Amino acid sequence: MLLPRFEYHRPARLDEALAILAQHQGQAAVLAGGTDLLVGMKHKLMKPAHVVGLEALEGFGQIQEQEGMLLLGPMLTASALAGEPGVRARATALALGAGVLGSPQVRNRATVGGNVCNARPAADMCVPLLALGATALLQSAHGAREVPLSEFFLGPGRTVRTPGELLCGVKLPAGGPGVGSGYQKLGLRQALEIALVNVAAFVALEDDGQTVKTARVALGAVAPTPILSPGAEAALTGQVISEELIRQAAQAAAADARPIDDHRGSADFRRQEVLVLTRRALQQAWQAARQD
Amino acid sequence: MAKQTIEITVNGDRYEVAIDPWRSLAEVLREDLRLTGTKIGCNQGDCGACTVLINGRSVSSCLTLAVEAHQREVTTIEGLAKTPQELHPIQEAFVEKGAVQCGFCTGGMIMSAKHLLDKNPQPTELEIRQGLSGNLCRCTGYNKIVEAIGDAARRLNPAKEGQ
Repeated sequence: MLLPRFEYHRPARLDEALAILAQHQGQAAVLAGGTDLLVGMKHKLMKPAHVVGLEALEGFGQIQEQEGMLLLGPMLTASALAGEPGVRARATALALGAGVLGSPQVRNRATVGGNVCNARPAADMCVPLLALGATALLQSAHGAREVPLSEFFLGPGRTVRTPGELLCGVKLPAGGPGVGSGYQKLGLRQALEIALVNVAAFVALEDDGQTVKTARVALGAVAPTPILSPGAEAALTGQVISEELIRQAAQAAAADARPIDDHRGSADFRRQEVLVLTRRALQQAWQAARQD
Repeated sequence: MAKQTIEITVNGDRYEVAIDPWRSLAEVLREDLRLTGTKIGCNQGDCGACTVLINGRSVSSCLTLAVEAHQREVTTIEGLAKTPQELHPIQEAFVEKGAVQCGFCTGGMIMSAKHLLDKNPQPTELEIRQGLSGNLCRCTGYNKIVEAIGDAARRLNPAKEGQ
């Protein structure tokens, strides 16, 4: 299995990268960690004439915090995110998802930008980011735009990103007191696994420490893209959090899931697991919100 | 399409090689630098036989372009021991514990073990198994490998023994 031939570009500046993408629209693939792109290219699913490596771009691997927001550089690896204390504390679900993605070798290469742009329905970083209310920061030679992740994914492997655009970062509200998140993944094995179902939950409590101000539940592998559960959000918002409320929200999430039968599991089983994993993820989020 | 010249440091030696950009680091290590201890198994990042360290972190060299290793430090199984006449303590432990059978996975297993022990000098059995979760072995059933890495941890940190 050899890679198809291509020309390799290693831009050192963002404007250079955007100019290359503009020049080779549709002919250029963006290489971040390569753990998906290079596999796809070896299987000849893609044969880009140009590959644009982001490895030399300055600042693309950094985490910044400003005005209550976390700004994640697209080249941050899964291992960096899983191990970074700031991410573990302020975006717990993301650190948990990044920590169970693939294998150690994959986590040392796979990036948050790659995970988001590949838009797999079960992606271990996309589902947490959706629950955390993240926004994709896109730039092209012609300008910049911000797209909430809830509007970013179009289908398996498809996003609103145009060929001339580069994902330059992911922005999300940094958690603090009264805010918590959790992540649950069910696979058929413990490692190198694509989730059968994965669920991330986010809870922000009012100052009273028990009324839900904001909540989001994101579901993976039960629709063509990672999805938010509007039912779970409606069940939780404004209510006093309790085990019973969490059970109701989990039922609403299961009702919002649109799973299919495939070689990894049946639709019925997946729906049942949405119920279980949503409950666990919400309990995790609630516990984290109480601890702050 | 022109070849690109890259500078890489492999096991402490600096190389300048002109390569086609679509070649993987595993291919360049094996075919150009003749470092054939790095094996190519699945060639798609699942089996771990091609594991090397880049700037100290374990990666699948089959899923890394050689051009991406430009100006980086690569360590392969050949570079683990201090001299060609010696074995690294992880290698010694693999030999003594019978963790090597056909040997195809061994280089990758040891590089993953090296990455694990560099980060976590006293791993639990579960942490060892998690550290090896990107490496497949079809001979040993893994138990001997897990034992060898536990043993290597004790060899590398004799003072901290006694839990």
